[in-house]
Amino acid sequence: MGISGVFPQSVFTILGFTITNTVVHTWVIVAVLVGLGIWANKRFKVWEPESWQLLIEYLIEYVDNLVKDQCGRSVPEIVPYLTVMITFIAISNLAGLFPLMQAPTRDINTTVALSLVSLLSTQYFGIRRRGVGGWLHSYIEPNPVMLPMNLLGMFSRVLSMALRLFGNVISGEVISAVFFMLVPLLSPIPMNLLGMLTSVLQALVFTVLTLVFILDAMGPEPADDQPVAAT
Amino acid sequence: MGSDQILQFSIVSTIVVGAAIVFGTLTVAIMEGRVIMKAFDNMARQPSVADRIRGLLFVVIALLESTAIYVLLICLILLFANPFANVFGL
Repeated sequence: MGISGVFPQSVFTILGFTITNTVVHTWVIVAVLVGLGIWANKRFKVWEPESWQLLIEYLIEYVDNLVKDQCGRSVPEIVPYLTVMITFIAISNLAGLFPLMQAPTRDINTTVALSLVSLLSTQYFGIRRRGVGGWLHSYIEPNPVMLPMNLLGMFSRVLSMALRLFGNVISGEVISAVFFMLVPLLSPIPMNLLGMLTSVLQALVFTVLTLVFILDAMGPEPADDQPVAAT
Repeated sequence: MGSDQILQFSIVSTIVVGAAIVFGTLTVAIMEGRVIMKAFDNMARQPSVADRIRGLLFVVIALLESTAIYVLLICLILLFANPFANVFGL
């Protein structure tokens, strides 16, 4: 198969839809994450928590701090969505380290789907916070002349987030494959180390960008007009 | 489609890919270096906000890097999954 093995291969077809191995890997990751979630949900304790519960709480607090850094106050309604997003993208990018698995985000379809979900989530949180009238008003916010710019901005955000994630993952895979072809002995070690760094970093960047766009769509709070007290 | 045209296609493709990578990563590397330089200077000047600067530094570097990744992506596609290759039967 050579280097083209890093690109998605078709596994089987159902009702005319081609199921690539990307979809199969995504199913495995979703099954593992949902299974872990259900298993952990039954075992949460308020007193004397176990160490894995502290890890999960640390992750949620980290995302909450990301939100607080952006807008100065805590927005609890978006933290669960962002936590799932960062966990799923980080685990997906790191899936190449496990045997028989490859990162589903090396397929442009997965990253475009994630970006579209992000876009829909910004609209959803915007409508939830401001109502349909306020959400429609936000498109002509500074000036009605900005309407095509706002629409184009939405489209370009989706494209840039999808291409950034896809480009990072697929370039890591192709370069690993080329290196492996040249130097088969021990070459996956440094490439995988670099891949681990960029995987988690890209998950963080994707989440921070989604967060900024959601907060932008939710609009300013009435209290934001007051000057913030020095911390 | 003779072998002469295949050769010309391969040569032009390789030269374009080489030039694209050079120009694409040059500005990115210079600008990232300037961002990091300023960030380190200001982290040393005001250690109390060093943590906030470090948090944003990684995000900004990833955003800048993504431009270079776009160029790399096009080069990889041209080299390994060229959409015009099947015109010549490659």
